[in-house]
Amino acid sequence: MMLQPDVVRFIAMGESQTHNGDEEEGFRGAAEQQVEGNPFTFSPQLLRLHRDHELFEDGDVFRHMYLQDLFISEAEEQPAPSVSEFGCHISGCRAVFSTLHEYEHHYNSLHRHVCCSCHRSLPSARLLDIHIQEWHDSLFTILAQKQDMYLCLVEGCGQKFRTSQQRKDHLIRLHKYPPDFRFDKSRKEKGTREASREQRTDTAVEAADDVCRSEGVCEVMCGVESNQLEQEESMETHASSEEAAQSEDFSASAQTPETNTERLKPRYSYRVPKTVCFGHGSVRGFRGQRGRRK
Amino acid sequence: MWRLNKVRHKAGGHANSLEELRTKRREKERALRQARRDRQLVSKRLLLNEDEEQDTMEVAPGEQDVVTLFQILHHGGTEKEAFLRPLSKALRDPSAQLTFIKLENSMHLLVGLLTGSDARCRLQAVRCLHELSHSPHTSVASACLPATPYLLTYLSGQSTKFTELCLYTLGNICPDSERVKERLLAQGIIPALAGCIQNHRHNLAVVEAAGFALFQLLQSKDAAQKVIPTVLASSLPSQLLSVLTPDPDFGLAPAIECAWCLHSLTSSSENHRELLAQGALRQCCSLLVSLGGAVADGNTDQGLELLVCPLLRCVGNLLSSCPAEALHSQLGGVDLVAPLCELVVALLHTLPALAKETAWVLNNLTAHSTESCSALLTLNLVPRLLELLPFSQGINTMVLRVLANVAHKKKEFCVRLAELGLLSALTATLKMADQNVVTLSLEVLFMIIVSCPQVCRA
Repeated sequence: MMLQPDVVRFIAMGESQTHNGDEEEGFRGAAEQQVEGNPFTFSPQLLRLHRDHELFEDGDVFRHMYLQDLFISEAEEQPAPSVSEFGCHISGCRAVFSTLHEYEHHYNSLHRHVCCSCHRSLPSARLLDIHIQEWHDSLFTILAQKQDMYLCLVEGCGQKFRTSQQRKDHLIRLHKYPPDFRFDKSRKEKGTREASREQRTDTAVEAADDVCRSEGVCEVMCGVESNQLEQEESMETHASSEEAAQSEDFSASAQTPETNTERLKPRYSYRVPKTVCFGHGSVRGFRGQRGRRK
Repeated sequence: MWRLNKVRHKAGGHANSLEELRTKRREKERALRQARRDRQLVSKRLLLNEDEEQDTMEVAPGEQDVVTLFQILHHGGTEKEAFLRPLSKALRDPSAQLTFIKLENSMHLLVGLLTGSDARCRLQAVRCLHELSHSPHTSVASACLPATPYLLTYLSGQSTKFTELCLYTLGNICPDSERVKERLLAQGIIPALAGCIQNHRHNLAVVEAAGFALFQLLQSKDAAQKVIPTVLASSLPSQLLSVLTPDPDFGLAPAIECAWCLHSLTSSSENHRELLAQGALRQCCSLLVSLGGAVADGNTDQGLELLVCPLLRCVGNLLSSCPAEALHSQLGGVDLVAPLCELVVALLHTLPALAKETAWVLNNLTAHSTESCSALLTLNLVPRLLELLPFSQGINTMVLRVLANVAHKKKEFCVRLAELGLLSALTATLKMADQNVVTLSLEVLFMIIVSCPQVCRA
């Protein structure tokens, strides 16, 4: 193989240098004793490629072609097993189904995480645990007087608060939750229930009726069960007055921060299945003005 | 769930479909490439109903119907579900989507139904939201914000179809606006995803959907600062890795999504400590080796390359931050050298871009590892590498780097390389037009000549 004269010169210089190096080191030694003008500077390099690197372009396009072109379908390979119509076996629940999928979804949505004390259904095991603690655990109530017991609802946050209102503020401020988040209604003191119920009777009842028809959240039961007007289960009144300021949805009438749970329980329970709950004191429908707007 | 077979079948059934399909694909590809260059590459996914066919030219209800349906639903009545179904179909149309979000209380209604006591309505409501989330208009995503805390809450529920829809909806709206993304982060989307994957880890469809949602979250421009640290601190990395098992029953689709998530993690951030500590390198390598074998055997299941690609990238980037001394223990005894060489050769003609990425991984493997270089020689893989030298598009550059890595280690290696015919291969590459190729060829040549000058006289 013929080599150019100047290349030979470089090589000759390089050779004399490498004699000193350890054989195992290969060319590292040569590099350290770099001869001036030696253009051969190769050393092995680890190449770290950022996700936007052009080397990744084709693969990325390939990936997105998959995401966009090759659409996905819910259908199973085998058709869903069809069964004759059957009802939900939870006592008190009147739902009826014709496919297993429907039943599965119904059961998982409404009967999964049910509180044994009040039979409310929560969306997840975690919220159920929190519910039981905050509503049915007398030890919790005692401890809550002295220390921060109300746990933030966002998984992973872990912060605790002295009152449910403080927790709610935290949810709104830090986690950007809406003020009317349905799975966080605080339990009210039982003491002033009577007073509050009196005050709220007219407006709440009126509103409830209106609300129920227009919003239809609990219309399933409205239509099926008696038409008697029912009190909302409990109003997070302290919160709701705040909510009223924030959204015109709630009636302007002052609602005191009480719960009507115990007193109203019999009435409310006709209306919405016991098995469904959206957190303590949650509204079955929409209160106040919201229903009025058509 | 991804069903490639179904797609092929449908495509075949159409008249003139093949040519149309090809044209459509070419256009899409062009658009995607441009989008990537503009750093705007984002995709959404639409989950179809059981009874739906993508190709049916069903007359879309249209905008007017959206308004009518909404009014019916808004005014109450007991047959909500009957009206929600057509509403979700109507919301497939982009202009209907815009109309809907502008209607007063429309989102409020959907949220109410989403959290109501009727499970069927919940499902239909989430379908409506899902259709909205697929909108090409970014304003629609912001309109869906009131639903997000509920979608996230439901991720820890048990209903699988419902959860799947929530996940794809969240994944679709994530990349649309900074505001949406920040809201989701504040509302705890990362722990919610972690919990969801944990609960539903045996369900293919849900894991795939969760992987997709996480992938979308990781695409944001500032992901490295705002998203990745939280993700790395959660249980998500170990969960993603656990999906990457070579279990044929588990299915490709969830593994594909999880692998792309891992690629996003490794390529956006330089901090690979946690991932390495959790054995990411070993896990990705062993799966890569199994898949590589399948690809090399001529397995034409298209999904395999979709999984091989992100795995290669993960391995490549993880190798780049793995200290040389730790390489052997990190790899856990997985022999990468031979499978990678086989893979380069196998992909060369079908997916040359992927062959180049494989060669890149080989470079990172051999850069500081005398063992790997030695393996290349003893396993007689060099001749296969030499065969790659004629090929352009960056393949020969990368292969030359690999050969240079080998030559750089020891004089004996240079001798071996020369014996294997490297010099004659170099005479070809020295004549090529690409400057990088010529430069690298000279470097390799230099090292060989210095090590074994007797070769030159031959």
